[in-house]
Amino acid sequence: MVIKSLEFKLTKDGHEVLIAKDGRVAMKFLKEANFDLILTDLMLPFVTGKELISYIKKNSPQTPIIVLSTSTQENIIMDAFNMGVDDFITKPFSPNELSLRVKRFLNKT
Amino acid sequence: MNNPNASLKAGPTILLVESHIIEQENFAHIAVQEGWHLVICNSGIDAIHWFNKNNKADLLVIEEDSAPLNGYQTADYIKAELGLMLPVLITVGTVPTQQELRVIAYAEGVIKKPFIKSTTILQINEILEKFPERASIQDYSYSLNYLRDIFDGHEESVLESLELFSTSVNTELEQLNVELQDMDYNRIREIAHSIKPSFEMLENETGRSICHLLNSEAEEIEMPGLINDLQLEFASITKQLTRDFPELKIGR
Repeated sequence: MVIKSLEFKLTKDGHEVLIAKDGRVAMKFLKEANFDLILTDLMLPFVTGKELISYIKKNSPQTPIIVLSTSTQENIIMDAFNMGVDDFITKPFSPNELSLRVKRFLNKT
Repeated sequence: MNNPNASLKAGPTILLVESHIIEQENFAHIAVQEGWHLVICNSGIDAIHWFNKNNKADLLVIEEDSAPLNGYQTADYIKAELGLMLPVLITVGTVPTQQELRVIAYAEGVIKKPFIKSTTILQINEILEKFPERASIQDYSYSLNYLRDIFDGHEESVLESLELFSTSVNTELEQLNVELQDMDYNRIREIAHSIKPSFEMLENETGRSICHLLNSEAEEIEMPGLINDLQLEFASITKQLTRDFPELKIGR
């Protein structure tokens, strides 16, 4: 449901969206193409969000990363920022908040 | 835990106005364990809108410094303008010494935060006993407000999401039973984490709270009961969805 709503909102905002259903598929996409922005959960099957973030930071450090998570725990949010992510949005997200944050990062690139 | 299976739907309806997420979680944890039907609003204005739509709750618990209307103003509006006679508890950081008259005028008492299980339950049960007339349980297992917002009112996408909710959450709930049998409690926490947003997107507070508990502080011994509660809540939502949208493939 979250993925469907994200795809709908971002596509409606005029962005091209590629969905990876798990961390393994995301890694495959990242090896095949460059992206302007990555939105990822931290808890992904097969390859975790942390592993994915480490890979992006190593291979494409200029790509902004927004973490989507249900967690409101400060330590998890801090861990994500310490890994170098650029922003953090809690699920379920506010549509306008998502649009604004995505736009903000895409305008920088 | 006080027989949560029986009490989830039979318990009192409590509307909590609380802006701090941690306190919302504390209260939700207590509510799930006590079988209170909990509705959370972020402000007094939200609470007024909720009462306009739903009319009945057994208790309003509202923070004193809610904004833009504070707890007293909100209580006054709900009682005087909406004509609702439900009891109100004001939540405060420190027990007020100079606002006693305001409490008497607008509310039935105060609760000191942070919410602590023993004292919160005691105070709320005392109030509920004083006001025994129970509001009828509202049929609000789900709401489409968020989905309609996120899909810009595109009804087809909203309905597709409902089908997706039905199938995907059902699969995960079945998996919870498997993991429970295997006693893989970490996997149970992961699954609860992954389906929590689905309940949130349907604005189902009970499902959200149970998922949060399973994902965070629930002990292993509590998990079978919580999973059972979650399955009951899911069944309640899908039953209502089937009734409201017979054309959808809900539960089929």
